[in-house]
Amino acid sequence: MKLQRRHLLQTLGLGALTGLGFRSPLSHADGVTPPLRIVFFVTPHGHVPRGWKMPMPGQPTEAFAELALVGVPSADFSPVLQPLHPYRDRLLVVEGLARTSALHDIAEITRTGTGDLNNHSIGVAHVLTGGIALQRAGSPCTGGMRSIDQELAVRTIAPGRFGSRVYGFDYGPNGPIVPFSFLGSGQATPIVASPRTAFGDLMGYYHPPATSDVPTREARLAAMRPQVLDAVAREYAVLAPQLGTEAQQKLLDHRDLIRQLQASLGAGPSAKCDPTVTEVDHVVTQFMRLTKMAFACDLTRVVTFVAPVLEPADLGYPASETMHGYAHQSIEGAPSCGQTFNPMAEKALIDLNAWYAGQFATLLRELDSVAEGTGTLLDHTLVVWTSELATPTHEHTNTCTILAGGANNFFKMGRYVRYPTVADNPLPKLARVGPAHNRLLVSLLQAFGQSDTSFGLTSSRTRDGLAISLTGALTELHRA
Amino acid sequence: MLSTLISYLSREHRGLRLFSMLTIALLAAQLECGDSSRVETDPVGSAPLRRLSNSEYLNALADLFPASAIAVSSLPPLPADSEVAGFSNAAEAQQPSDLRIARFEQIANLYAAALAKDAAAVHSLVGCDYATPTEGTTCANKFVREMGSRVFRRPLSIEEQDRLSVRFAGWQADIDFEAAVQLTIASMLQSPQFLYRPEVAPRSLNAATSVPLEPYAMASRLSFFLWESVPDDALFAAAAKDELRTEEQLRAQGTRMLANPRARRSIWSFHRQWLGLDRILSDEHNSRTEEVDPLWSAQTPVAASHESRLFIENVLGNGGTLRDLFLSRRAFVNGDLARIYGIEAPADPNSFVEVLLPEGQRAGVLTRVAFLAGYSHRGATSPPVRGNGLGLRLLCRLPFSPPPDADLSQPMASPGDGPKTNRALFEARTAPTSCMSCHRTLNGVGFAFENFNAAGAFQTSEQGLPIDARGTLVGTDIGRPIDGALDMSSALSESKDVQRCATERWVRYALGRAPESTEQPLLAELRDKFGETHGDIAKLMLDIVTSKTFRLQRATPTTAKFGVSR
Repeated sequence: MKLQRRHLLQTLGLGALTGLGFRSPLSHADGVTPPLRIVFFVTPHGHVPRGWKMPMPGQPTEAFAELALVGVPSADFSPVLQPLHPYRDRLLVVEGLARTSALHDIAEITRTGTGDLNNHSIGVAHVLTGGIALQRAGSPCTGGMRSIDQELAVRTIAPGRFGSRVYGFDYGPNGPIVPFSFLGSGQATPIVASPRTAFGDLMGYYHPPATSDVPTREARLAAMRPQVLDAVAREYAVLAPQLGTEAQQKLLDHRDLIRQLQASLGAGPSAKCDPTVTEVDHVVTQFMRLTKMAFACDLTRVVTFVAPVLEPADLGYPASETMHGYAHQSIEGAPSCGQTFNPMAEKALIDLNAWYAGQFATLLRELDSVAEGTGTLLDHTLVVWTSELATPTHEHTNTCTILAGGANNFFKMGRYVRYPTVADNPLPKLARVGPAHNRLLVSLLQAFGQSDTSFGLTSSRTRDGLAISLTGALTELHRA
Repeated sequence: MLSTLISYLSREHRGLRLFSMLTIALLAAQLECGDSSRVETDPVGSAPLRRLSNSEYLNALADLFPASAIAVSSLPPLPADSEVAGFSNAAEAQQPSDLRIARFEQIANLYAAALAKDAAAVHSLVGCDYATPTEGTTCANKFVREMGSRVFRRPLSIEEQDRLSVRFAGWQADIDFEAAVQLTIASMLQSPQFLYRPEVAPRSLNAATSVPLEPYAMASRLSFFLWESVPDDALFAAAAKDELRTEEQLRAQGTRMLANPRARRSIWSFHRQWLGLDRILSDEHNSRTEEVDPLWSAQTPVAASHESRLFIENVLGNGGTLRDLFLSRRAFVNGDLARIYGIEAPADPNSFVEVLLPEGQRAGVLTRVAFLAGYSHRGATSPPVRGNGLGLRLLCRLPFSPPPDADLSQPMASPGDGPKTNRALFEARTAPTSCMSCHRTLNGVGFAFENFNAAGAFQTSEQGLPIDARGTLVGTDIGRPIDGALDMSSALSESKDVQRCATERWVRYALGRAPESTEQPLLAELRDKFGETHGDIAKLMLDIVTSKTFRLQRATPTTAKFGVSR
């Protein structure tokens, strides 16, 4: 069935807003580049190298290496990357970055002996922040700063447009839920797990084309929404000065969000997009379509999607197994986990990631189906696929990352690139590692026209006291 | 100073009669004259601004509007509260988000629309005629005053009454009286006076000085701690008479409130969060392997959680003790749980009936499915997981983190080695010295529960081998070896370390923040009293309510001017 605005009106308590959507390509004035959007596609457990990596014959391992993807036949793509073959001209596959900030954290926690060292929690706290995890007694460690998606949200929000949307599923490999996106230190960004609910949220900002009908009483009531929010916002402003500094700030933050909602309701002309989402297929597919709709209607420019962990049985493996159990047996010769390698576990993890890749390809296809400017929505979107771990065996180095989409030509796409392991790292027992993942986050900021040169942790030290820099963009990925 | 105090009262609370003016004048005069002998100067912890937690918010709506016919389950889902130390009411983790603001608006609109759905509903809600302009004005003022005081949990100030009445009149002029009622309710339910628990403190006093909380704020502290909801009429009446001030008054109110069924909400909520009883509801526990329990279904965890709730509410909610938590054999089971417990199923397998669990096998919360299976894997028990869970929850320990290269997989017997018990496999896995620094503590706790499999069923042997359930409680005040889960429960039921942890968590739950250094003497005193009563939970709650940190507030040191900014 199709999710349409009118289906949600009762849920929203707004019975009178019965706008009809219509289909038309997004149009932009000639010569104006459409805005850049970004999706963070986050999957758990990292990648099995044999399922993800592609051979680079003749390329050096001690220097930055690249392989043009356009001429590579589908059969030569690795199993996990294969579903993305149709989009190879708009792929930038990045091998070899290190979560240096996580290594720094692990080194510090190991040195001081206090803190949650669980690799999943640490990885989740770092992947989108690049900053030191927040340690709180009695809780798993969590993000210690605003994550990159929320930073971009703050910088791209406007009346009529959400800063970001965070969709997907709770991730709790060890029990307590560990979120990926953070509004601030220790403050998880709310995550919406139901496409229908998420659709309803978006429709709160959607402006249907005006009609000439005489408004009903219900419509007049609904039209009072901004006035009610204005009244509410004033109450926050009145109360705040009577309280202490921290309380004031909390209330004013709340007030600002009400003002944002209020401004959004009155903002902008009618949307020229298709405000419907088909409610069929896997729930992940529905979220991919919803993301397209959100971008096409410019209801947000930042989406973070956290994929669910499938059960092995979903992929045809024995119901008695778990993906987390398989993860530890999935890499031959992995130095961690004195666990016996199990070829079936490796295959299961590869199949899991190939399944994610299929959903990732669906997202690319959906974005590519909407005409925008002289190209498609995909040309003006950057989709980033990352994970809290490099490998299912808890590594934080030699990560697998994929950038996809046209990204408004900021990145030089159509390549598989590999970074050499020439950087120092904070953990004593590791050899040299690739560049810090933080630097990728800097590149993302710069893709949005920001001038930042760092994000998260800026420096660390080796055990011998040598400085390690985590700053500067990964210019090898950029076009210019 | 006196003038500032009077200004504080008169600006925002004129008409509230919050404090007796005489008392305040006396207090101010003492401070002004440097006579602090009668002013309480004991260190009282901070009182960060608290937003209603999700459960407090939903309880508040249900209690404010019992006739609204809106089912909580039909509301759009609120974003999860961020947890600190397992508790979802921590003020430090309540940063607002756009999604939360949107949900608050949706839900406010839904309630407002339902309450004012037609003229008859509005008429019954306002309780006065509004046919003529004069009647309309009088009725609108009455509605704003009465609805405002219920939603804001205190009488409106004159300024608030004016503001809200002017808005009401505007909306009435724009649409009609009924619409104004609807929009007024929608705005009130999004206001900070409803969603937060503002406690305005006198400002220009010495910052080290503690003064009684104003009575309506005290009423809210009581009701949200003891009921996870809004005050009732009796509490309002006591606040109006300034009878929420002395220890005796608070103890009497607290006693009355704990006898109300609403108190079960808090007692369940606290234990659910303290003991992590929701853990059984996570996806991992939707299934069990054939070998562990072929009949386990996705409904089993739901039943186990419900059993926990019935146990906590019925056994601890009626004068229960920490001893009961660990030792009571009373249980509430459906057919599925009776099967796991090896007892006769109720006639209707879908209903829950009260039973006594088998003597010598089970007693207390630690021998129930929610804990035993919730702290297991689907295919096997994990003594370290149970040990870590128990230490984290009952002893308030920091979690043990496996080192980055630890092997976290389930240990299996090597082919050719013959059968081994789970215990033997874990002992072998964790034997290296580097492992034992943590596992010395973890294993000894977990091994004591090995008579219960990963579904929580009782077992005396595995793989044809007898189970050894001897354990230890390293690093606690229990300095003796433990033999099995019942012995473990018995030891924990008298442990001062458990009492200390429970007390700390109760104070955290009551205050919405971690106890502070100035409150350590209070914690020690509460723990001692708790121990003397074998852990009388209602008494501990009353002791918290009557403690200075709960009934007093610190003055706010600031030079900021009072004022209204719009």
